[in-house]
Formats: sequence, structure tokens, C-alpha cells
Amino acid sequence: MPVLALRGIVKRYGDLVAVGGVDLELESGAIVALIGENGAGKSTLANIAFGATAADEGTIERNGVVGLVHQHFQLVERLSVWENVLLGREPRKGWRLDVAAARARVRELGERYGLHVDPDAIVETLPIGLKQRVELLRELEREPAILLLDEPTAVLAPSEIASFFTMIVALAKRGIAILVVTHKLAEVIAYTSKVNVMRAGEIVARYETAQTNAAELARAMVGGEIPPLAERTALPRQVLPVIHIRGLCARTESDEIAGLDLTLAAGEILGIAGVEGNGQTALADALAGIADYEGTIRFREENLPPSLGPHARIMRGIQIIPQDRQHEALVLDWSVTENAILGRERNPELRRGWQVDRAAARAFAQTIVERFDVRPPRVDARVGGLSGGNQQKVVVGRVLAGQPSFVLAYQPTRGIDVGAAALVQSRLIEARNAGTAILLISFELDEIFALADRVVVLYRGKIAGEFGRDAFDRGRIGALMAGSS
Amino acid sequence: MKLSRGARDAAIAFGIIVVFGSLAMMLAGVNPIDGFTALMIGALGNVPETAETLVQTTSLLFPALGIAVAFRAGLFNIGAEGQLLIGGLLAGVIGERFIAPGIIAIPVLLLAGAVGGGFWGALAGWLRARFAANEVIATLMLNYVAIQVAAYAITGPLKSATGAGNETGELPPSAWLPTILPDTRLTIALVLALALALFLRWMLRSTVIGYQLRAVGDAPRTAQRAGIDLAKMRFWTMAFSGAIAGFGGATIVLGVLHRFNLALSPGYGFIGIAVALVGELDPLWVTVAAFVFGILQNGAIGMQAAANVPRDVVTAIEGLIILVLAGRRIITRSGAD
Repeated sequence: MPVLALRGIVKRYGDLVAVGGVDLELESGAIVALIGENGAGKSTLANIAFGATAADEGTIERNGVVGLVHQHFQLVERLSVWENVLLGREPRKGWRLDVAAARARVRELGERYGLHVDPDAIVETLPIGLKQRVELLRELEREPAILLLDEPTAVLAPSEIASFFTMIVALAKRGIAILVVTHKLAEVIAYTSKVNVMRAGEIVARYETAQTNAAELARAMVGGEIPPLAERTALPRQVLPVIHIRGLCARTESDEIAGLDLTLAAGEILGIAGVEGNGQTALADALAGIADYEGTIRFREENLPPSLGPHARIMRGIQIIPQDRQHEALVLDWSVTENAILGRERNPELRRGWQVDRAAARAFAQTIVERFDVRPPRVDARVGGLSGGNQQKVVVGRVLAGQPSFVLAYQPTRGIDVGAAALVQSRLIEARNAGTAILLISFELDEIFALADRVVVLYRGKIAGEFGRDAFDRGRIGALMAGSS
Repeated sequence: MKLSRGARDAAIAFGIIVVFGSLAMMLAGVNPIDGFTALMIGALGNVPETAETLVQTTSLLFPALGIAVAFRAGLFNIGAEGQLLIGGLLAGVIGERFIAPGIIAIPVLLLAGAVGGGFWGALAGWLRARFAANEVIATLMLNYVAIQVAAYAITGPLKSATGAGNETGELPPSAWLPTILPDTRLTIALVLALALALFLRWMLRSTVIGYQLRAVGDAPRTAQRAGIDLAKMRFWTMAFSGAIAGFGGATIVLGVLHRFNLALSPGYGFIGIAVALVGELDPLWVTVAAFVFGILQNGAIGMQAAANVPRDVVTAIEGLIILVLAGRRIITRSGAD
């Protein structure tokens, strides 16, 4: 008998059918994957199974408590581990909290599942892997029969991913039914027994994991062949240095770099491999002219002082694809046209005296929409209403327009569908072929291997190693990312 | 049906006026229909009253427009009252001493009002840019400072030879704003306010600077990465916003009172917040909202006389609208920061 059975689930948001008639069953002790591109309806379905979202149609049978671990941790950072784990279910002694019992409960859970965390540690001081452990403990505290994991490895390093799934496999052995919502096919193949593929709100394929492979799953997710990336031309023999960084130190709220040296030539993609929080944001913000820094950044023949702001850098041909497209790259309430000219609004060809030249702006946006296949292809569409992939096409289109000398691409395909990602990656390769120097910061090694001519590993704000394209070594790079030498 | 935020704000304001107004009237023992009828007649029942309603509309419109511009840049300027007062003070103390033909005196004094209000707004802008001081607190506090500065100025160093304790002497008639309706207080200030509303609408929608201002308000981190200098934009927007309120203060001095008085404003700078929000921060709709609030302001007097409803009912309604609309925004925003 299944512990969780969804039958004929339908969920609509206005005209959009997020989930259109899905059946799904989970058995005790089995790890099942739910895969699909962004916007396929996976998270909505998980939320319906959990009970956070009400379905419009269909029935849900739950034989036991359902736990849900969110992609973005739902933790109170300032509180301790036990306060988070037992939030809302605190043991009491009369009117008072029974702190001793709370600590004991967290320790007991840790013992039982092999998830050891100091109950009194403050969550914000914990590394990401341990925060996830707290998140998991909080759900396990409710003794769930079913555990739903929404993109659980999005923020983990390769080595942390392995140990995370070791925990999950152990939980399954204890009889918990587990559903992993993900888009990472390697993890699906390695750790699950069944795979459900969602596309446009429906489950379009079901496989026994043992009888399928990553390529077949990818085709099922996309609903066809994945478009090939653009061909890369040979690197020119004589290369001009575009960016020359020496002894760069910078700090942001999330990370820092301490004495970084990098050289980047025209027509080259340099990949920065590393786990999030090892200095990527500090490097990006220093180059963008947002974070203060020490050391030198030489761009072509010119030293860029820290006081040189973003506008002056954009004017020199430095373009950034920010990490967070919704808050750093776009104004969601605005149209495609208004977003397309952002950063160029002062250019003479896009203004008429004091006024924005609307016709020129629309024409400019139109070229981006066409070249990047933005859908719907309407320049007056509200950007906030576009899918993540189409939003990113607008951002990348804006950045690559006018052949910049240097592009910093920070997670350029984060959270977008495979088709859009392939298009963005192809356009980056084409820009490289045409002579643009590209610094690619990505947390996905696959992306770096697909695009980069050279890779450096960033660990704790320093370069931990460098590899040419013909010497890429996943094992070595993964080890350096985790800090071993 | 899904309402835009602006339309929702307008609906909330209308609901408060009808529901809360009716309740208050019933408490005062008056049939709400009689009360609202008296209010409308008091505001629009004849030409002089309509003119006076338009005077109130004008006095509300300037600070409301200034507030709307600041809000569009993401700056919660709660200090229009103080900016208006400093603008009026400068126009009053200079105007009282400045003997010149109207064609010179009027523009100079209105400009002085804008400079005064602009300076007062820029103070808050500077505190925000330099020390990251929350502009809600800064502008609110500067309102109280403005009152004290004005009181000190007109009783101390700039004390008038003819004025009473809380006001300057009368301005020479050459500095008075020309009326556009004889025997009323309705002056060309209304025309100036309407022209300003049209200008601001054009500025926000069509110009490069308006585009940048909206970017800073709608998505500051995006704007920063696109090369817009946030500190500079915030500073000059606060100055501009204050200048508009200060200009409005000067029109009251030159057009309505013909002198500066500490009680120059019955809270135009505060009611202006509600006007700006109800008007969806769009200068055109802000103008319409100012007219609605002008009716409330002026109709309250007629309502008190004809239906015996205390005019404080209107003050309470206005306060409630500010509390609900502005409070909600400020709370939402501090959560988002």
C-alpha cells in the first residue's frame, strides 16, 4: 500500500495550468525522483503533496506525516539549533520551556539518524551543510512517513552532496518514503529507484532508474533533443590580455577574496570553479565597481581604481551578468524595452535630448528579442511575467549587445530551462569566438567544463589550482573545491 | 477581480471615508446622508465655496506631488510639512522686506520657497546618503525642527516690525499672487500646480532622468549595477521633492495669507501623503485625489455649520487614511529591507 497517493491532481493559477492531472504514488522505503525543467510544476506538486498548497481537483491520501525540506532553508538564523528544530513544538514545563528536554530531543534525533549537530549552536554560524542537517532534523522531529526534498543539493559542494545522499539512503532504509525534486540527473541516476519526469504540468514519462540513463531523462525533460552548443573556434595564438588582476582583496556581506591573481585574454573563457561563498561575489562586485577593494585591476591599458563606479566601467566595455537576475539585473515591473536599455539610457543613440527615444529603445529591444528568441516575442511584455529563462535572455542579450570587451557571467544559467540555458551558453561561446574575454563564475562544474578554455578553482578567497581545457580533471577540481590539496 | 496597488489604495481610502465617516456622523447623532450632503454643499454648493475648495486642492497638490516624486524613487518623504513650512518662511521673511514689481518679486519669492524647501529635503537626503539614515525618521524629525527654526526666526533675528508673535508682517501687494476669480483666494497657484503635475508626469514617463529615478525606486540593486549612482539620485530627489513642497508653501504665503504664519499649514504635508498614495503616485491621479481631499477639507466647515458634525471628523478620516496607506507601505518596506 502506498504511503502517499496523489490522484488526478490539478492546480491552476489564473489561466496557467501549473499541474494538469497528475497521479503519483510513494512507497515506504523507496527513493523516487521527480524531475523536470523550471516551471514544469514540480515544486507546486511537492507543495500540494505536503499540504501547503490546495489542489483544485484530485484526491490526496496520506498515511502518515509528510515532511518537506525546502530548496531555500526555512530557518531562523539568529536562533539556536534546538530552537529551530522544535519551533512551534517546544517541550514545556508548565509555563516555561523545558530546555533540557529540548536539547535531549535534538541529541536523540541526531543519534538515531546519524545527524549530529550541537543543539546550542546558533544557526547563522553553521556552514551550509550543517544548516541543511538542521532543516532535515526539524522535519524528522515530526516522525514523518514521507519526506519531500525540493532541490536539496542546490547549495552543496560535490563532496557534501555525496554525504547528504548517504543520510537520505539511511532514512529510506528506516522505511521513510522519499521524493527528491531535482533537475540534477547525476544524482537521480546514482541514488533513486524510480524517476517521474514532469513537463508543462504533467508527468510525461516514468522510468525504473536502473533501466534508463541521463541522456534519455534529459530528452524526456526537454521534450526533444537538447540543442547543441555553438562550435568554439581555436584560440588565437597571440592573445591580448584584457583583464589583469593582482593581489585583489575585497569583501562583501557573503564572502571575501584575499590576494587574488588572474589574467584573462581576449577571446577566452576563464571558468571560476568553487562552492558558493568562497569569494565569487566579492570578485564579481569588485569588478563591477560596487565593492571596495585593494590590489590592482588592470583593464586593457588602464588601472581601474576602486572609486571608478559601475557606469564608468560599463562605458569602457565591462559588462556584468549578475547572479540574481530578479534583483540585480531587472526591474520586474517594467517592460522588456525598458529593461533592455538599462545601463544604456544615457547613450546618444537611445535618447532625444532629455527624453528617452522610445522608437530607438523599442528597436534595440526588438533586436535582443529576435537574436535571443525571447518568448513571447513582445517588447512591451512585462518582464516579471516572463519565465526565468526568458528573463535571463533579456539580461544576456543586453549585456552582449555591442560586443563588449569583457563580460563577467555570474551563474548565467542558474534556475533556467535547458533550452534557454543552451541558448545563453551558445551566445557566450559566440561572443568568445568574436574576441570577448569572459569570466565565468559557476557553481555547476558541468557548465564550466562545457564552456571554459581554462579553469581556476576558488577556495576561501584564493586560487587553489588552475587547469587548461585539455587537462580538466573532475576529481582533482572537486577535491580542490572542498579544500583538500 | 485583481486590483492594482494604486486602485486598491483608492478603494481603501474611499471605504474609510464612507464607513468611518458614517459611523462618526451617527455617533454625533446625524444621519450620514444629511452629513455627506452638507459636506458636498459646503465644498461645491456655490462659486465662492468651490473656489475655496480649489484653494485647498492647490495647497494639498504641491506637497502631494513632491511626496509622489520621492516615493517613486523609493524615498518615504514624510517631511513635506516641514519642507513646506521652511519654503513659506523664506518666502515670507524675504517677501516682507523685498520691494519690487510683481513680475520680479513673485518669481523670486516662489523660487526662494523652492530653495528653502529643497534645502530642507536635501538635509534628509544628505543624512540618508552620508550616514544611511532612514529617511522616514529623518524627514519626520525635521518637521519638528522646521517648526522650531521658523518660530525662532520670526521671533528672533528676522522679527518683523509689524507682525505679531507667530507671523511676519504683510507682504507688499505687488508680491501677492494674482487671483483668477475675483473676490476669492483662488490664484494662479492652481495653474502653476496643474502645470507642475503635467511636467512631472512627462518627466517620470518620458525623460532619461525620470527613467533612472523610477529604476532606483523600483529596483535599487538593479539600478546600481546598471550604473546609476544611488546616493546622488536619492540626494537630488529629496532636494527636488522638498523644493516642490517649499514652492507650495510659498504659494500659500503669496496667494492665500499674504504673510508667513506658523499655522500656515493645517497639515497639508501629512494629508499630502494620503493624497499621493490614493493618486497612485501618478501626478495626474494625484491631482484628482487632491481635489477629493480639497472637498473634504473645505466641506468640513460647511458640514459643521449645516449638519452640526464636528469638522474634526474629517481630520480623523484623513489621519486614518494616512495611517492605513502609509503605515502599510512603510511596514512592508522595512520588512523587505
